[in-house]
Amino acid sequence: MLDVLSGQLPWWIAGPAVGLCVVALYGLINARLGVSGAWLATLAPVEGWRPEPWRRTFLLALAGGCVVAAVLGPPVSVHGYGRLSEVLSPVALVPVLLLVGVALGYGSRWAGGCTSGHGMSGCAAGSPDSVVTTATFFSVAVLSTLGLNALTGGAL
Amino acid sequence: MRWSALGVGLVFGFLLTASGLGDYDTIHEGLLLQDPYIFLMMASAMAVAFAGLAVLRRTGRTWFAGRLSLPRHRIERRHVYGGAIFGLGFGVGATCPGMTVAMTATGGLYGLVVLVGLLGGLWLRGRVERGQRRPLSTEPETSAATRAAAGMPAVTSG
Repeated sequence: MLDVLSGQLPWWIAGPAVGLCVVALYGLINARLGVSGAWLATLAPVEGWRPEPWRRTFLLALAGGCVVAAVLGPPVSVHGYGRLSEVLSPVALVPVLLLVGVALGYGSRWAGGCTSGHGMSGCAAGSPDSVVTTATFFSVAVLSTLGLNALTGGAL
Repeated sequence: MRWSALGVGLVFGFLLTASGLGDYDTIHEGLLLQDPYIFLMMASAMAVAFAGLAVLRRTGRTWFAGRLSLPRHRIERRHVYGGAIFGLGFGVGATCPGMTVAMTATGGLYGLVVLVGLLGGLWLRGRVERGQRRPLSTEPETSAATRAAAGMPAVTSG
């Protein structure tokens, strides 16, 4: 919004800095940085268990950090969903996106983590389950993207 | 404890957003193998985290939480099944649980729809586990001591 940060951070800054976040959370409080776990903690009261207390703080801080970057970054405008909202009408897009969310939630709980928990933290710790989960979801994501691209004649 | 999670969460959310991971195009072009950005970012993050954790392992201690214990879990079928379903959502939606927050913060309000679905999917998996009379999975796999302290049922198998 303030346009202090213009454009995208180079990968060689963003990547290593994210890696340091993983190290910091382990080094400070012995915790695995994971966003799906933080979302899962919000369901704990409904399911009747007690989550680790740092998770709610982490989720709120994550949202805060996103807002700070949005405020400092290029002008924010309400926008659609990339090429997906050009191809699909809102009536079709909403159920598709709900299903996308369900797949992300169901899959991450089943596998015990997502892009951050397994993909970065678990892989960096050398945990075999994380390596398998990450290899699986990246392969399926690339294949389904390439498949959709071919099926839609390059529209997606 | 709280301040650590607050600081790391703020920086992490900032980085996800400033690197454009909340944009459909950034992820979509990456998954189409047209733009290496997300893979370079992911690989450099893993490399730095790997090196940093190697250093932490040597000291073996954490600042506020005593002895360091890094995860090491064996591979089970659920990692492939869960990973595949997650990958399908990742591929079609070009987003993940963290990136969706960045998307919503930068005006991609359809991200809210994905978040509703995400909570629904997490809940649904819990229902299925309960239906199978299995202990509810939390993340990461909570230690026996923590489970006992929180009054959660013990995990016997994956």
